[in-house]
Amino acid sequence: MSTVAISDPIIDELRAILGPAYVLTSKTARYNRTRVPAPFPVHRWGDFLPDVVVLPETAEQVSEVVKLANRFQIPVVPRAGGTGLADGAVPLKGGIIVDIKRMDKILEIDLEDRTVTVQPGINMLKLNEVLNKYGVFYPDDPASYPCSLVGGRIGTSGFSLISGRYGHTRDLVISMQVVLPTGEIFEVGDGGGRKIRKSSTGFQLKHLFMGHQGTLGICTEATLELVPRPEAEFAAFFGYKSFDSAYRSTGALTKSGLATLSSVVLFDERKIQYLRRDDEAYIPQPGDVRAVIATSAYGSRDEVKAAGKRLLQIAKDTDGRYLGDEVSQGDWASRHDRYATPLHGRLPDKQVVPMCWHCEDASINYSVIPKVMKEWHEIADRYIGRYGIFDDWGCFFYTNAAYKPWGDYLAEIDIGIWEQRLDDETWEAWVNCKREITKVSLKYSGSITACHGSTREGDAEFVPVEMGGGFEVMKRIKRVLDPNNIMNPGKNMLDLAYEEDQST
Amino acid sequence: MFGFRLKGQRPPDPHSVKEGVVMRFDHVYEIDPERMQVFKQQDMPAWDTMRIVSNRWEHLNWMHSHFAESVVSGEELEKELEKEGKVRGKRRTKVRKRK
Repeated sequence: MSTVAISDPIIDELRAILGPAYVLTSKTARYNRTRVPAPFPVHRWGDFLPDVVVLPETAEQVSEVVKLANRFQIPVVPRAGGTGLADGAVPLKGGIIVDIKRMDKILEIDLEDRTVTVQPGINMLKLNEVLNKYGVFYPDDPASYPCSLVGGRIGTSGFSLISGRYGHTRDLVISMQVVLPTGEIFEVGDGGGRKIRKSSTGFQLKHLFMGHQGTLGICTEATLELVPRPEAEFAAFFGYKSFDSAYRSTGALTKSGLATLSSVVLFDERKIQYLRRDDEAYIPQPGDVRAVIATSAYGSRDEVKAAGKRLLQIAKDTDGRYLGDEVSQGDWASRHDRYATPLHGRLPDKQVVPMCWHCEDASINYSVIPKVMKEWHEIADRYIGRYGIFDDWGCFFYTNAAYKPWGDYLAEIDIGIWEQRLDDETWEAWVNCKREITKVSLKYSGSITACHGSTREGDAEFVPVEMGGGFEVMKRIKRVLDPNNIMNPGKNMLDLAYEEDQST
Repeated sequence: MFGFRLKGQRPPDPHSVKEGVVMRFDHVYEIDPERMQVFKQQDMPAWDTMRIVSNRWEHLNWMHSHFAESVVSGEELEKELEKEGKVRGKRRTKVRKRK
């Protein structure tokens, strides 16, 4: 039985646009499209329910839904895989969820100009299964690789695990078709042509429609980069006796200048302690392994082999010990699929409980990593001691810059949260913990999010602080493109644009 | 039916590997059941544990072949480096002798 707040005539109009089978009003359909894997106030689940879910198949249907929403001023929240680690796909004000999973077609594979054009509901793994037959590859590789979708990657301007070699989502999307908040369908790229990678014509609008978290429209088609399918993969994990030596080694490895180097990841001592509890690769490690570096390289076999040797030599010269093929290859392969990892939390008395996973995802410069890491752990420890439902799962630092993996890092502190025990007090405590962590990132001139987006409580209120004068420009753009504030309202503090409108 | 299978393939008793970790099968680690009093551990027949372990390896192997045509072994590269290191060492020695 439907319990939607949207009136029956509007539901009827949606059914006329999409067909009755693709307008869902059941509790199951709506509850399942409310949260994402990020920590969620489960005790207030009902506060975030959408009123109705629609499953379009074409850009024209998306456009008609958005025009209807404008007429009745109903919020619209696009949702792809729902794998985000911030709240981009969580409806804060009810309304219509536009679930794009039926828009999963490959429209064109162009081996001459090296592009593939897809609908946004396709998954990268499924796309690459098709592309592999042609000897090409779409190298966007999040930790949610088997389950996230191209549209969600665009909406968050996602982070790719192999970006040091191939770039991030923003670098791999050549052009897009977008339904604007008022329902018009338009094409956006670097300039004009759908397959043109570099242009100086007009404004560079493509980036405006990357990472907006559904606040500026809905992507309905994307033309993506194709690269040669890698001949070879090399993954090497190194153990160190101290964090300091691993930190120095990270600097040396990232500045090696190797073209095939795809990633360097530094795990701190707390992360190793966490992994020793559950992880088959780390349980047997000797006690003097206190920090680990993971590296990867992709490309032609000759290049990768030479790069592998250089990486092994650099690590050895900087006090690293190769942890062997089984750990390196096994753990690297599992990094493409971290969402399959059971999240075993520990209470202060070491008892096991299932916990939800918060991953802070700040961008931090290399020079301040030790200070940020220390302050983050101090914050987490205070909250663990006081509330007993949080757990520090350690930090890692992942090369962040596309094509030149040095200088700044995706810096994460992973914190477990026992969601089943959340109430108003502990949720507020968690958000305060998040705020303290965020303030540290800003104190050291970092960015509060490298990949998940700034849509969570504890992040969102700092968007104006980080953006400075740019936030005023954001508000003006939002007001012009979305005059009725229907696209994903409540996100990124953009509602402020409309409050000011009313006061003038 | 599940109980029958468990009885038919009951896993061996665990032995402690390190603090908080036990092992019933080689290289298959489990959390010490003493630490699973709040969230109870499930009984699993041996065949189910073996199925999960084998599927996990299959999945990881598949992931390698999905991303690249071949995997370069770090252990083999280390051996090559060792050999090359000996060659380089000899060459350096020769240079010193010339001086």
